[in-house]
Amino acid sequence: MSKVLQIFSSRRTWAWPYILFMALFVVLPLVLVGVYAFTDMSGQFTLRNFAKFFSHSEAIQTFFYSVMIAVLNTAICLLIGYPAAYIMAQEDFRTPKVMAMLFILPMWINFLLRTVATVELFNMCGLPLGEGALLFGLCYDYLPFMIYPIYNTLQKMDNSLVEAAQDLGANRWKCFWKIIVPLSMPGVYSGVVMVFMPTVSTFAIAELLTHNNIKLFGSLIQDYITTTDLLNYGAVLSLVLLIIIGLTSFFGDHDASGEEKGGMV
Amino acid sequence: MRRLRLGLLSLLGFLGILVSGAMAQSNLTYELRVGETGKAAVVDTFPGTYAGEKVNISIQPSAISHQASDSLDFVFVDRPMPTLESWAEQVYAFTDSEGTDWTVWRKKELPKNRKKRVLVQNAYGAFEQYLHASIEVKRSRGWIWFVLAGLMLAGVAAYSIVTVVQRRKEKQLTSVEQEMLRRKRMGMRRHYGSQLYLWLLLLVLYAPIALIAVFSFTESKILGNWTGFSMQLYANLFTGQADAGLNSAIWYTVVIALIAAVCSTILGTLAAIGIYNMRARQRKVVSLMNSVPMINPDIITGISLFLLFVALGVSQGLATVCIAHVVFCTPYVVLSVLPRLSRMNPNTYEAALDLGATPAQALRMVMLPELWPGMLSGFILALTLSVDDFGVTFFTKGSGGLETLSTFIYSDARKGGLTPELRPLFTIILLVMLTALIIINIRNNKQENN
Repeated sequence: MSKVLQIFSSRRTWAWPYILFMALFVVLPLVLVGVYAFTDMSGQFTLRNFAKFFSHSEAIQTFFYSVMIAVLNTAICLLIGYPAAYIMAQEDFRTPKVMAMLFILPMWINFLLRTVATVELFNMCGLPLGEGALLFGLCYDYLPFMIYPIYNTLQKMDNSLVEAAQDLGANRWKCFWKIIVPLSMPGVYSGVVMVFMPTVSTFAIAELLTHNNIKLFGSLIQDYITTTDLLNYGAVLSLVLLIIIGLTSFFGDHDASGEEKGGMV
Repeated sequence: MRRLRLGLLSLLGFLGILVSGAMAQSNLTYELRVGETGKAAVVDTFPGTYAGEKVNISIQPSAISHQASDSLDFVFVDRPMPTLESWAEQVYAFTDSEGTDWTVWRKKELPKNRKKRVLVQNAYGAFEQYLHASIEVKRSRGWIWFVLAGLMLAGVAAYSIVTVVQRRKEKQLTSVEQEMLRRKRMGMRRHYGSQLYLWLLLLVLYAPIALIAVFSFTESKILGNWTGFSMQLYANLFTGQADAGLNSAIWYTVVIALIAAVCSTILGTLAAIGIYNMRARQRKVVSLMNSVPMINPDIITGISLFLLFVALGVSQGLATVCIAHVVFCTPYVVLSVLPRLSRMNPNTYEAALDLGATPAQALRMVMLPELWPGMLSGFILALTLSVDDFGVTFFTKGSGGLETLSTFIYSDARKGGLTPELRPLFTIILLVMLTALIIINIRNNKQENN
């Protein structure tokens, strides 16, 4: 008994339940994706699933199309979101907190419902559904993820550096590109990661926004994984997506992105 | 110079709106074209259908039955068909080039969000050949553009009147005063421009939400059809007369969110204490593991868990959804508790042990009072993440009919309509959040002032 107590009096051990839980429900499932990708229906090792992927032109095309849409969406979000974050982080901007909250508030409405409402809005204005609607909807859903981290880094930035640059004779343009932009890069990185990753893996939104006319990689995975016979092939597609996600998060600073996301409420 | 540019820009914008409005006007007629046969071209109005929507016709040699009526939206028949009257209404009649009289029937409650399905049925109940044709239904609400153009014109007019009046006043000032005014205005104008940008962005962000809120006050089944002011949907929502599926979805959403939030708060707090007391290298490994569910997009989390449950042979349902939600909520709890830990005095816990407290007592009486703000924010975060989740739930809910609000909306939208009671539900959620935000803000301001 005293030994048990001793073990638990060391607070280091308090994390063990969580570590076990994570091992079972985070690490093992991810390993399983790989296992399923390399096996066939009867559990035998096979590479046929991969061969199928590389000869499956629809899957490859959808994949590149999804990546393109995600890149485009990230670029649009950055173009729209950076100025917004910059304006909010200005010293003479009086209500930054309210503004930040106003940008986050729409996220409390279920994103599928917002998507349906966006579709309705497009219909009311007589705009066609399609690629444009898709990009609008995606940008609409993920813009706050871009604005918030950039705003955070800009706000924490040491303003005396800007003043120093101005004192040393930099004009506003130079000051912006040489001082503010480089200093805000961490925020931009985490914003880009936080927009790109959900966009490249998105499913459901695209179907609703384009009347099922455009299929993104996420929907393709969904189709295969929910079909029992094609589960292993679906695992291959998931693995491809996982690799993309891994590469992206390798380039982005994941610790920062976690904190930003955690601070959103 | 500045003003000139502004004027030019607004003029250009105004022209653009007018042109697009005119273009939208030009396809105001609804077109119904059986294209590829070239035998009939029909132009008619179909109220309740979609703008710019392409209708695919698949012509099948099958008889119309009432069972099929759910999947059909338009029916073309060449003879009277009284059985259709129960669910469809006759909207058009035409004669094709071979002299056959056709009547077009449209389902009374036409779903909006999917392709329309059309059946063409001739007198013999079967077809001599399969045809491929397409019907285009085009419609636009050109008036929206004109309202926008009008608003913009009014804005430009107001702006120019104000500037003219101001200029007259300014001419009476001394040159020093004029210069001061000019400088002040330069600063202000920059501010106005940026404010305008933010507000425009917010306008776009809130437009769809406003649509939901506005149409929660009408009874129409279809979002976008105004059938007069009514509070009926709110009444339905609160008296439980809404769709049974919606009621159970709300119930499950709340239950799952509470279970997931409680479990992840307990698990995450203990884990945070453990991680905080680890050595640097161990801590790094566990933090990395902790960040994996946050980085993973929900589709990957969902699919990997789905594969786990399939491999283990676990039947999916409430339990699996709860586990899945704990998986992606706990990391956020850990992250919101850790900062509190680094802020508290690490020796108080040991002091409590030295004074004879058991670890459990020390946890309850020493640690918890210090940690609870972090735990609370983690709990709230977990609640909202769980309520908002779609991807993970979708893959782990199994096929036993368990639906949360997200998955319910998804299947609803795919079916075509949207359960109308969702509109008041989310309007209420939005209002509650808005009030909470305002209260928090006022409080913060008061604290800052004090």
